[in-house]
Amino acid sequence: MDENASARLTRRTLIVAHRVGLFLAMLVICLPGIWIVLSSLRPTVEIMAKPPVWIPQQLSFDAYVAMFSGIGKGGIPVLDYFRNSLIISVSSTVIAVAIGMAGGYAFARYRFRGKSGMFLGLMLTRTVPGIAMSLPLFFVYARLGIIDTHFGMILAYVALNIPFTIWLIDGFFRQVPKDLAEAAQIDGCTRWQAFWQVEFPLARPGIASAAIFAFLTCWNEFALASQLTRSVNSKTLPVGLLDYTAEFTIDWRGMCALAVVMIIPALTLTYIVQKHLVGGLTSGAVKG
Amino acid sequence: MKGFKPSAPILLLLPALVVLAAVVLVPLLLSLYSSFTPFRLTRPETFFVLIGFRNYMSILSNPDFWWAFGRTVLLLTVALNLEMLLGLGLAMLVEKATSGQRILRTLMMFPMMFSPILVGFQFKFMFNDNIGLVNNALQSLGVTQDAIPWLIESHLAFTAITIAEVWSSTSIFAILILAGLLAMPKEPIEAARVDGCTPWQTFRYVTWPFVMPFAYIAMTIRSLDVARAYDIVKIMTDGGPAGRTELLWTLVGRTAYSDARMGLANAMAYFSILLSIAFTVYFYNKLAAARAQIGAEW
Repeated sequence: MDENASARLTRRTLIVAHRVGLFLAMLVICLPGIWIVLSSLRPTVEIMAKPPVWIPQQLSFDAYVAMFSGIGKGGIPVLDYFRNSLIISVSSTVIAVAIGMAGGYAFARYRFRGKSGMFLGLMLTRTVPGIAMSLPLFFVYARLGIIDTHFGMILAYVALNIPFTIWLIDGFFRQVPKDLAEAAQIDGCTRWQAFWQVEFPLARPGIASAAIFAFLTCWNEFALASQLTRSVNSKTLPVGLLDYTAEFTIDWRGMCALAVVMIIPALTLTYIVQKHLVGGLTSGAVKG
Repeated sequence: MKGFKPSAPILLLLPALVVLAAVVLVPLLLSLYSSFTPFRLTRPETFFVLIGFRNYMSILSNPDFWWAFGRTVLLLTVALNLEMLLGLGLAMLVEKATSGQRILRTLMMFPMMFSPILVGFQFKFMFNDNIGLVNNALQSLGVTQDAIPWLIESHLAFTAITIAEVWSSTSIFAILILAGLLAMPKEPIEAARVDGCTPWQTFRYVTWPFVMPFAYIAMTIRSLDVARAYDIVKIMTDGGPAGRTELLWTLVGRTAYSDARMGLANAMAYFSILLSIAFTVYFYNKLAAARAQIGAEW
């Protein structure tokens, strides 16, 4: 075999190996999700079957119908949970982004004493594990009487999201050239106007993705929610998943259906922001 | 803020500081105080009894606590390293792909959308010894006859938890490292190839130093949120079998809410907070160092 042919062969083998590797990796990544969707559509008998039934014999939306048909008919108050999740996530996202914009702007545009120390300090408040946070919060909230209320959850989630929102928004504001705002100010804008008319529109896609990221954090949070919520007044979807578990058994089909309901909004939103999100996280990395 | 008029950045940061002080700092101080009391939820009057360092002493002399502590550190070390390696591999596979990059990138982010608690349930379902996908597949393929007790035997349970954790977080590494690979200038690689570097040398001395800050960003983000493993473990094994997969966080939760011993739990919680802070500060410093290195080179 001459050198050309062997080189071509190596190249082709490498391409095939690459394809196979990629396919396997994607399979591992997607399989659990596909399995959840599939299980939510199959009857419980088939899920529990031994030996396993690999090819679904009958698919139906029974689990979804049962879930939405209310308590007593095999359902859970999923609409209440959904509403709670939505109210809590949206309000805390809006507040966290507003506060994060102010903070991020301060970090991106001003020099002040103790800046990096303060930045790290803000980040460190995020490291407190949810379960460790929940102990004192539970106590304080019980005293204030805001356990199992939307207000309490929103407050906790705002605090949870601020550090990360500031980090992301700081990155996006840094990508907006300082000269633009300065030029606007020379042309007669106040700093306030310059911010809203020049810098904000440029950083808007980034801020939107920070918002979606904050929303997803709230949407998916469990450790705090499981301790600070008690009833349909404020229980969120992640806590609602536990309704499908009993002492020794789990209704897998119902749970899979609820999981799918939970994932769809998250999936859509993540898809929208994927590009901007990475930009915000890494914008400081290369330029320092 | 010593008497003079507060400056603009301080004013801008004020709302953030106020909220964080109210929701994080004050409660933490409160829990610091209560870690010096024998406080039980069921007996509110115990909140005002000071017992000095007795909670800390009893924790430090408790082997269960040290096991949980060691296991937490082990899980974090194993999981973070695996996630980093797999994320790097995945990012390089996707970067090499000639077509369908957009689809691949979206698929790659799939696990990020899953709530950790969902990851817990999903893997609990898949690793179920009787009806789980893993055992069904192994048995159908004839690898084994018996049902492997994934979540029941302690080492296997730990492995299963690690797999769940790695599955859920590898994509964060992959997506950030991929961003690094895509942002990287092409000239140095070509120069290295012209100069006769092997692919391995090119990777080790050209690509890797450039991608490193991105890996550290991922590490920092992950360490901000390491405790999300709590949700996974809580659901998959709840610390079982017989406390063999108990992590610091599940131990804190159990002591606080099942045993209602808040004072003791708060003392433990402080250890887990210190652990998280140590991880974060470590990676944050690494990140700063890696950034400085690149700044010098490029």
